[in-house]
Amino acid sequence: MESYLHYVLAPQMLNGLALGISVILVALGLTIIFGLLDVINMSHGEFYAIGAFGALALSLSGMNYWVLIALVPLLMIPLGIITERYLIRRVYDGADRHVTTLLVTFGLGLILEDILKILFGPNTHRPANPLPGATDLFGIVIPTYRLFLIAIGAVVILAVTFVVYRTRLGAIVRAASFDRNMAASLGVRVGWVYSGAFAFGVTLAGLAGVLLAPVYSVFPTMGRDFILLAFTVVIVGGLGSIWGAVIAGIFLTQVQAISSLVISPVWADPIVFGVMVLVLMFRPQGLFGRMGHA
Amino acid sequence: MKPILHTENLSIAFGGLKAVDAISMSATPHEITTVIGPNGAGKTTLFNLISGALKPGSGKVYLDGKDVTRFGPAQLQHAGLARSFQITNLFFEMTVRENLRLASQILEPISHAVRPLRRTGRAARKVDELIERFDFHDKVHEQVGYLSHGEQRRLEIAMCLACEPKLLMLDEPTQGMSHADTDETEELIKSLTQNVSILLIEHDIGIVMSVSDHVIVMHQGQKIADGTPAEVRANPAVQAAYFGHG
Amino acid sequence: MRDRLDISMRANHVFFAVLMGIGLICVALAVAMNDTFYLRLGTEALILGGLALSVDILLGFGGLLSLGQALYFGIGAYVSALVLREVPSFWLAMAAATGVTLLAGIIGGLIANRVRGVYFALITFGMAQVVAKVVYNTRELGASDGLIGVPVLEIPLGVITVSAGDPLAFFLLTLSVLTILYAAVAYLFTTPFGRVVIALKANEKRVPFLGYNTWGPRMVCYVVAALVAGITGALYPMLRGFVSPELMFFASSGNAVIMVVLGGVGTLIGALYGAVLLTFLKSVVGSYTEHHLIAIGVIFIFAILFMPKGIIGVAKPSLERRLIRFDEQTDAARIKATGERA
Repeated sequence: MESYLHYVLAPQMLNGLALGISVILVALGLTIIFGLLDVINMSHGEFYAIGAFGALALSLSGMNYWVLIALVPLLMIPLGIITERYLIRRVYDGADRHVTTLLVTFGLGLILEDILKILFGPNTHRPANPLPGATDLFGIVIPTYRLFLIAIGAVVILAVTFVVYRTRLGAIVRAASFDRNMAASLGVRVGWVYSGAFAFGVTLAGLAGVLLAPVYSVFPTMGRDFILLAFTVVIVGGLGSIWGAVIAGIFLTQVQAISSLVISPVWADPIVFGVMVLVLMFRPQGLFGRMGHA
Repeated sequence: MKPILHTENLSIAFGGLKAVDAISMSATPHEITTVIGPNGAGKTTLFNLISGALKPGSGKVYLDGKDVTRFGPAQLQHAGLARSFQITNLFFEMTVRENLRLASQILEPISHAVRPLRRTGRAARKVDELIERFDFHDKVHEQVGYLSHGEQRRLEIAMCLACEPKLLMLDEPTQGMSHADTDETEELIKSLTQNVSILLIEHDIGIVMSVSDHVIVMHQGQKIADGTPAEVRANPAVQAAYFGHG
Repeated sequence: MRDRLDISMRANHVFFAVLMGIGLICVALAVAMNDTFYLRLGTEALILGGLALSVDILLGFGGLLSLGQALYFGIGAYVSALVLREVPSFWLAMAAATGVTLLAGIIGGLIANRVRGVYFALITFGMAQVVAKVVYNTRELGASDGLIGVPVLEIPLGVITVSAGDPLAFFLLTLSVLTILYAAVAYLFTTPFGRVVIALKANEKRVPFLGYNTWGPRMVCYVVAALVAGITGALYPMLRGFVSPELMFFASSGNAVIMVVLGGVGTLIGALYGAVLLTFLKSVVGSYTEHHLIAIGVIFIFAILFMPKGIIGVAKPSLERRLIRFDEQTDAARIKATGERA
C-alpha cells in the first residue's frame, strides 16, 4: 500500500499537477480575456503554439532558454495589440458581440495554425530540456523540469492574481470592463485598456507555450488539443474567474491523472469533458463568479 | 363586486430594501385602477410581482378569484392577464402586422402551430380588428423599429389586447409621448374598459385624475392611500409623500 | 402585400431555385464531359450543406451558435454505416439514422437548452468532443480508423432503382433529399411555431408575456436541427464508403459554421451556397497547396467584417424589394379586376 502511494499514486498526482499548472497558465489568459473584454478567444490555442514555436526557433538560433522565458512573452505583446485593434475592435460593438468575436478569433486561429505549418512544417519537434534529470522529492522521483514548472507556474499565477486584484492598474482595468462609459468619463483610456488586457492574455498564452515546450512536443496543431482542456477548465471554474480557473485546473487534471490509474487513459478525456457538461447543466456560470462583475 | 385582481400582503425585498412591502390591493372589473407614487415607490416592482416577472417573497396574488401567485408570465397570460412595459418592449425588426400576428396567434389552438399561417380564422380577424382599432392602416408593413415613439407605445397596448385578456396592466403607457398622443391614449384607455379591466401605472397626474376609478398610492414600497381620485387628492399622507420631503 | 418574413422566405426560395439551376447546368456539363470527380465533389458539398443548414436553423433562427453540430452529423453517418454493413438497405439506414439522431437530439437538447449565448456554444462544443472521443476510443466503432467497407448500395425508389455507385444518380438523390429538408425547414419557419422561434431570437424576455412557452419551441428547433444534420450525415457513408471519427470533430462543426457565415446567416439557403463554395474552394486551393486553411480563414474573416450577412445578404435586399413591388402590382391588378366586376 505504502509503495503504491510512493511509486504510483504520488508521481501520478505530481505529474497531474504539472499538467494542471500548465493548463491553468493557458486558461488564465482565456479567462482574463473573457472576464475583462467579454470575448471568447478561439485563437488562444494558436497563441500558445506561437509561444512554443517562438521558443523553439530562438533556441535553435542559440539563445539561452532562460532568456526566452522572458523574451517570448514580450514578443507576444504586439501580436495581441494588433489582434485586438484591427480584428476584435471592428466587431466589438456589433449586435451579437459574443458570437462575432468568437467567430473572428476562430478564423484567426485557422490562419495562424496554417502559418505555423508553413514556417515550421507539420512535424513534431522536441526542444532540449533545460533541466534534464530527475529529482528525488521525499522518495518520490519526478523530472526536475516538471518541478520547476510547478514552482514557476505557481509564481506566475500568484503574480497575475496580484496584478488583477491588488494593484491600481488592475482596478482600472476592472473598472473599464465593468462600465466602459463611466471609466472613460473618469479619464481612463478605455481603448488602450482593452488592447492591453487582450495583449496580457495573449502574453500568458505565449508564456505557457515557452514553459511547456520542453515537456510536451511542439507541433502546429498543439494549441487545438490543449485548448480543449483549457476551455474545460475555464468553464468549470467560471468564465472570467481567475481563482475558479486555478481550482478547476487542479481539480480536473487530478481527476484525469487519478482516473487513468484505474481505467484506460483514453477515457480520461471523456470523463473530464463529462464533468464540464455536468457543471454547465447545473451551474452554467461555473463554480465561481466572474471578475469584472463580482 | 368581486374584484378581478387582488393581492394579499404582497412583498419582496432586494437585499435589505423592501421594494414592495405588504401590499394588499384590488382591482374592480371594468374599472381603471391606477397605481401612483413617487419615483422608486415600487410601482413597477409591484407590476412585476403580479405579472409573474418576479416571484414574491411572501403574499398572494389572485386573478379572478384564483390563486396565481406562483404562475409564470406565460401561465398568467393564459389565465387572462396581459401587461405592457415601461420601456417599449416589442419585436423591433418585425413589422407592425407581424408583431400583432405573433400576439394574436395565441388565440388559436396549439394544433395549428405547424399549419400555415392563415389569412382567415380567429388570429387573422384579431389582427385586422386591432389594426382598425389602433389605426395602423398606413403602417401595417412598417418595421416597428422605425415607428415613432407614440406609435410604438400604442402598438404595445394593441399587443396586450390581442389575447383578449381579462385584466390589462399598463406600465406608464404615455411615457415620453407628445401632448396630442397623450390625449389620444387617454381616450383610448377609457374606451377599453368596455372589454377589460385595467391596472395602470401613470405619472401624469392629470391623466390619473381624469381616467381613474380608483387610485392606489405607493410610497417606499408601502401602500399609503387607496380611494377615489378625489379622496386620494385630499389625503394628507399623499400630499406629504409627494410634496412633503423638504 | 405579405409580411416581411414571408417575403424574406420567398427570396430564399428564389436563391434556392438559382442554385438548383446552376447545379443542374453544371451536372449536365459534367455528364457531357464524362466527369465523375466533380459530381462526387458536388454530392459531398450538398451533404456538408445539410450540416450547415442544421447550423443555420440554430444560429439564424434560434439565435444559438452551435460549435458541435457535427455530433449529429456523425451519429447519422455512423448509424447509417453500421446498418449498411449488416443490411444494405437505404431505407433501413435512413430510418435508423433518423431515429437515433432524434433520440440523441432530444438528449442533447435537454442538456444544451439549459443555457444560452456563449455557454450554449461551449456546451455544444463539449458534448461533441465527449462523444467524438468516446467513438475515437471504441474498438467496436472502429476507433480512430472509423468504419470501412460500407458496400455500394442499390437504392430502390419505387419505379426505379438507383446505385449509390453511379455519381450522377447519387448526386440527384442527394439533391432531392436536400430539397426536401430545405422545404420542410423553410415551411416550419413560416408557421405560427416558426414565428415564435423567430420572436424568441429577437426578444426572448417578451415572449412569455405573450403567453408562449420559451423552452418548448427552442427544444423543437434544436431537435429539428439535429435531425437535419443526422439525415444528411446518413448519406455520407453511401458516398464515401466509410466513416471516421473526424466527422464529429470540431473541424467539421467549425467548417459548417464557416459555410453558414459565408453564405448568409438566417437564410437557410445561404448554408448550401456556403457549402458549395467552401467545398470547391478547398478542392481548388488544395490542388495547388496544402495550406488552404489560410485562404479559408482570410475569406471567413473578410466575410464577418465586410459581409456580415454573407453572399445571400448582398443580393437579398434588392430581390426582396422586387418581390414586394411584384406583390403590390398583382394586388393592384386584382383590386382593379374585382372592382370592375363589382
